[in-house]
Amino acid sequence: MDKLSGGEKAASSRLNRWVDPSFTELPGESFAVSRRRKAVSSKAEVKKPRKRAGEAGSLQPPTPSLLRECAHRDQDESWVDRYSPRSQAELAVHKKKIEEVENWIKVHTNTSKGGVLLLTGPSGCGKTATVKVLSLELDLRVQEWTNPSNQEPYSSSQQEWRTNGLSFTSQLTQFQDFLLRANKYKCLKMVGDGGATDRKFILVEDFPNQFYRQPGSLHDILRRFVKTSRCPLVFIVSDSLSGDSSSRCLFPKEIQEELDIGSISFNPVAPTTMMKVLTRISTLEAGKSAGRMCVPDLAVLETLCSGSSGDVRSAINSLQFSSLPDTSLEKGLLRKDRHGTTLGKAVSRTNQRKKRSKQKKDQEEEQAIGGKDASLFLFRALGKILHCKRGKQEDAEVVECPPGPPLPSHLSHHHREALLVDPEYVVERSHMSGEFFSLYLHQNYLDFFSEVEDVDRASEYLSDADLLNSDWTSRSTMGYYGSSVATRGLLHSNSQQVSVGFRPLHKPNWLLVNKKHRENGLAAQSLFRSFCLTPLSLQTELLPYLAKLTNPLRNQAQIAFIQDVGHMSLRRLPGRLKLEALTDKEPAQPEGDSEEEEEQKVESQGGVEEGLPESQPQPRTSQDLLEEEELLIEDYNSD
Amino acid sequence: MSLWVDKYRPTSLGKLDYHKTQATQLKNLVQCGDFPHLLVYGPSGAGKKTRIMCLLRELYGAGVEKLRIEHQTIVAPSKKKIEINTIASNYHLEVNPSDAGNQDRVVIQELIKTVAQSQQIQSSTQREFKVVLLTEVDRLTKDAQHALRRTMEKYMSTCRLILCSTSTSKVIGPIRSRCLAIRVPLPSTEEVCNVLTSICKKEGLLLPPELAKNISEKSGRNLRKALLMCEACRVQQYPFSADQDVPETDWEVYLRETANAIVSQQSPQRLLEVRARLYELLTHCIPPDIIMKGLVTELLSNCDGQLKTEVAQMAAYYEHRLQLGNKAIYHLEAFTAKFMAIYKKFMEDGLDAMMF
Amino acid sequence: MQAFLKGATVQTSRPQKDKAAGGPSTEKKVKAVPWVEKYRPKCIDEVAFQEEVVAVLKKSVEGADLPNLLFYGPPGTGKTSTILAAARELYGPQLYRQRVLELNASDERGIQVVREKVKNFAQLVVAGTRPDGKPCPPFKIIILDEADSMTGAAQAALRRTMEKESRTTRFCLICNYISRIIEPLTSRCSKFRFKPLANKIQEERLLEICEKESLKYSKQSIAALVTVSEGDLRKAITFLQSAARLNMDREITESAIIEIAGVVPPKMIDNMLQICLSGTFEKLEVAVRKMVDEGYAATQILGQLHEAVIEHDLSDKQKSAITEKMAVVGKCLSDGADEYLQMLSLCSVIMQQASQHN
Repeated sequence: MDKLSGGEKAASSRLNRWVDPSFTELPGESFAVSRRRKAVSSKAEVKKPRKRAGEAGSLQPPTPSLLRECAHRDQDESWVDRYSPRSQAELAVHKKKIEEVENWIKVHTNTSKGGVLLLTGPSGCGKTATVKVLSLELDLRVQEWTNPSNQEPYSSSQQEWRTNGLSFTSQLTQFQDFLLRANKYKCLKMVGDGGATDRKFILVEDFPNQFYRQPGSLHDILRRFVKTSRCPLVFIVSDSLSGDSSSRCLFPKEIQEELDIGSISFNPVAPTTMMKVLTRISTLEAGKSAGRMCVPDLAVLETLCSGSSGDVRSAINSLQFSSLPDTSLEKGLLRKDRHGTTLGKAVSRTNQRKKRSKQKKDQEEEQAIGGKDASLFLFRALGKILHCKRGKQEDAEVVECPPGPPLPSHLSHHHREALLVDPEYVVERSHMSGEFFSLYLHQNYLDFFSEVEDVDRASEYLSDADLLNSDWTSRSTMGYYGSSVATRGLLHSNSQQVSVGFRPLHKPNWLLVNKKHRENGLAAQSLFRSFCLTPLSLQTELLPYLAKLTNPLRNQAQIAFIQDVGHMSLRRLPGRLKLEALTDKEPAQPEGDSEEEEEQKVESQGGVEEGLPESQPQPRTSQDLLEEEELLIEDYNSD
Repeated sequence: MSLWVDKYRPTSLGKLDYHKTQATQLKNLVQCGDFPHLLVYGPSGAGKKTRIMCLLRELYGAGVEKLRIEHQTIVAPSKKKIEINTIASNYHLEVNPSDAGNQDRVVIQELIKTVAQSQQIQSSTQREFKVVLLTEVDRLTKDAQHALRRTMEKYMSTCRLILCSTSTSKVIGPIRSRCLAIRVPLPSTEEVCNVLTSICKKEGLLLPPELAKNISEKSGRNLRKALLMCEACRVQQYPFSADQDVPETDWEVYLRETANAIVSQQSPQRLLEVRARLYELLTHCIPPDIIMKGLVTELLSNCDGQLKTEVAQMAAYYEHRLQLGNKAIYHLEAFTAKFMAIYKKFMEDGLDAMMF
Repeated sequence: MQAFLKGATVQTSRPQKDKAAGGPSTEKKVKAVPWVEKYRPKCIDEVAFQEEVVAVLKKSVEGADLPNLLFYGPPGTGKTSTILAAARELYGPQLYRQRVLELNASDERGIQVVREKVKNFAQLVVAGTRPDGKPCPPFKIIILDEADSMTGAAQAALRRTMEKESRTTRFCLICNYISRIIEPLTSRCSKFRFKPLANKIQEERLLEICEKESLKYSKQSIAALVTVSEGDLRKAITFLQSAARLNMDREITESAIIEIAGVVPPKMIDNMLQICLSGTFEKLEVAVRKMVDEGYAATQILGQLHEAVIEHDLSDKQKSAITEKMAVVGKCLSDGADEYLQMLSLCSVIMQQASQHN
């Protein structure tokens, strides 16, 4: 940094001085000059009220103050806005994707027949930016829906609200009106508009809340819209990691097919692209501020880049934040960061293994500077465990922790190379309870094993894990160990480590099976209560044989049940269980019901007594007995 | 047309077909007036329930056969409502407390209290106590069993308990010591044969002795199962032939096929298929421990002596875990995988031995 | 050796009945009283075979102070009977109800109860004379039956109470396993171990009851009763009464006793062991199946097999391997594992061990 900036620094640091007493503790660096100056001036200036900072500044040579003014203006605007892409080239999106969207828009705006497009992807991957850029370049008008906020102040009482009721319409109706009107009417031609064309499209990024609760109403509106549509409609939905995926809930597959909704899914911004963007912005900024701010070096950019996990918006935000001068907090972090990364970088060239470890360390650090919570999609989390990536032989000597003495010969078959993943970390980031994670693993692990011996060990570990989790009183503490045993056990027992390539992953069947098992059991109990049998003999003896007997005196429900449960088709492949594939974007789903499975047993809702076969041993409900007093059923008769 | 099992169920102690000395003993018990709490135990299909009903009839006369199903709602101290079905006559109340899951303690206490506090209406009956029949006592929680022990003493004057259980292993000592334990063994093969023949005679059917023997062996001495089998035989083919197939339940056949699949190939892929089959069995209401037991029996018959010991160990190991654990499939699958691994190794060793 | 139960008479059985069966049962006919209650010792002199306790209690009846007591020993050795008899002698029938608080495991006995019920009772001060003028000790007795099933916290709460109320109250803790009583409590009590009754004593008592109830019996059946009860007199008397009920007017036979006790006939056990030692696995499967089908409880088989194995001619190493497996099986059974599979695995281990070294 040059002297000019030093002066500037002093001025601005002075502003912050009163909140920033620990400044001098920072190790000497490029700010050495400014600090010295500040140290000199601080005595006098520290007492100055903040307002006078401006005067102090005006004493400085004119150039920097000018710069500063412009910098002030700049600071009002966030970098995300300032550097929002203006052309396709600036977009941090893959060319192919842009092309895809562009083509769709072109096709659909040129014909008067509208269409619906759904853009999905993680937040900050450039969905909106792409649309905006394209609209500029293609010279299209964008009509965007924003949720209206209630203009009435909160104080307005119920009464007032009622009197004004006429003007009140629900968000839902407003949305509907908007869509249909925007569809119908063209824009007014304004004089200043220049050559603006009639061509336009409607953009919806903000959904009325109602739709999240009742996606059906959205679908109705969409159906009406599609019928009469004349201009394209673009929806932008961000995938979220936790909770329900709104895109799936708002636009289920059926609707997408029914209404012929085009769907383009964006990927997170690739690190290289992100780097490009960040470097561009930081050089521009650096040039502009003329050294007023600290220009993050390459390493910082790299950490920001990996920390944002493909979210360009958050990356730029963090860049801006980390470039802000003189906030001790941030600086401290930066210091730490820079230290760690430069050091890491030097070594990273030498071997890959080390680099991995460095990245992992960074991953934890970078979260401190506004990095995104690097959650894993379930798909990837499972993959990490199942694919069982281990270090290579030649890397063995650079494992983080120095390898202990080699295993004695009788245990040598337990030797494994170092893991490239930390199982507990993976489970934690999958946003799932260990128990569920194990279920997912269990559903899928067999595809990744080639030896029965390995499977044997793996299944034993899973069994162990279940045992650890079994007691609900201790589950809160044991759950952690359970998932640890399950994941590490699977990793350990996968001794072959064959690369299996891509395998589809599935959702666990167990929950469904278990539910079915329970429900059928209860149903059997209530339907066949008249036999007075224990569940065990009912389910394993009576029902299967009833299926074999032609005993006509049974009511409809019983017959249906026997057909369903008593019979087992021997040839048929188990058809009840459809494997539900797990898509790569699918977040962990909280599936609560089985949690309570052993705590609360669902009581059978009885009262299915109507129409008992006359000749069965027949206990009746008490009401029955009251109604037909004379009719006493002889039970257990043997004549 | 009711099932033969129900149609020909004996109703008095004198008409019981087997364990006749025990029947007279029970008769004595009723006559001596000092009726203790009973714990009736024995395997499924041995006729515990029939025996108990006969005993009740001996106690109270034909009135106990007028049964009604009642749907009771019990409010636990925690204000939680528990619904449970009971089968009752004027003299007794039958309930399966394990229907209430973890709340079985409350059910037992409340029900017995209600019964014990309501006095006999008819003064004509000579008994000053009512009977509460608890089935599946071995599935009661320990908590409930301890509560039971106190309740037993407290309401001894107005209420007797008959506990019905498959084994006394899971019944706590204090309860066992407070009850007169009545063991009901399974009928012997001959006894099953006799019952089958006599019932067929009553139906006007001719049952060849070979078939009767075949059925009783296939049924594993379980009389209920034998009768159901016999009736299924009747549906399948009549007149009977001595060598006709005894119909087995679908799930048993399915399980055997599963076992064969395990023996014929050992690979992760096969395990995946087996898992699907296990799921299928589970959805058909077959309890996991029954699946495990059936699987073990089938697998044991498929392997050699030395291996059998090992398989038996494993089976016991994983069945235990099955009882403790949450998710049965883990343990069923672990057992299968273990068997596959052992069996594969055994076969490979055998092959090696043949080579040299 | 004196009789364990001496001169027990039907007339005096009234007071016990109250406790045994609750209020209404007092009106019941005498014959409905369980023999265990009927023949419970009425005074400490009747308690025999436990000389130390008797000596201490006798002194106390004669006017000496009574320490806090801790009785421990296997079930059916007279722990509860002893303290009840002593209390009755100390206070007589009228005062008995006021002065003695009896709590057993069936009552609610969490820390709350110890705090309130025990404390409230302990705080009452009592006089040193009976209403009829006879002297009686100026303290009350709290009997905590089955104290080993109290929670640790409840036991801890007890120790303070015990010391604070020592002026007016004596505690008598009764348990099977002294190891489950926390150290601070055991150190505050004088401990008495109750030995399992010698066979001869048991036999005498049983014969006496048989005489009183005018039962028909054989020598073998009494011998069998003594063996199956394993020093537990209560069990023996209960079995005797059950056998008498089931076989009215007929002789009580050895097999009847064995049946009631749920004991597996020794012949079956021997047979099973023989198969384990020399048979094939197929035979073993059949034998185990049969055993389970007969309805015998696996825990019972386990216990008897254990005895048989210990006495059998096997090397120590073999025995230890087998008994280790037995321990595992016992645990599994109590967890609710399947009896057939567990027995099969146990027997296959015995088989394996037997074949290894022979």
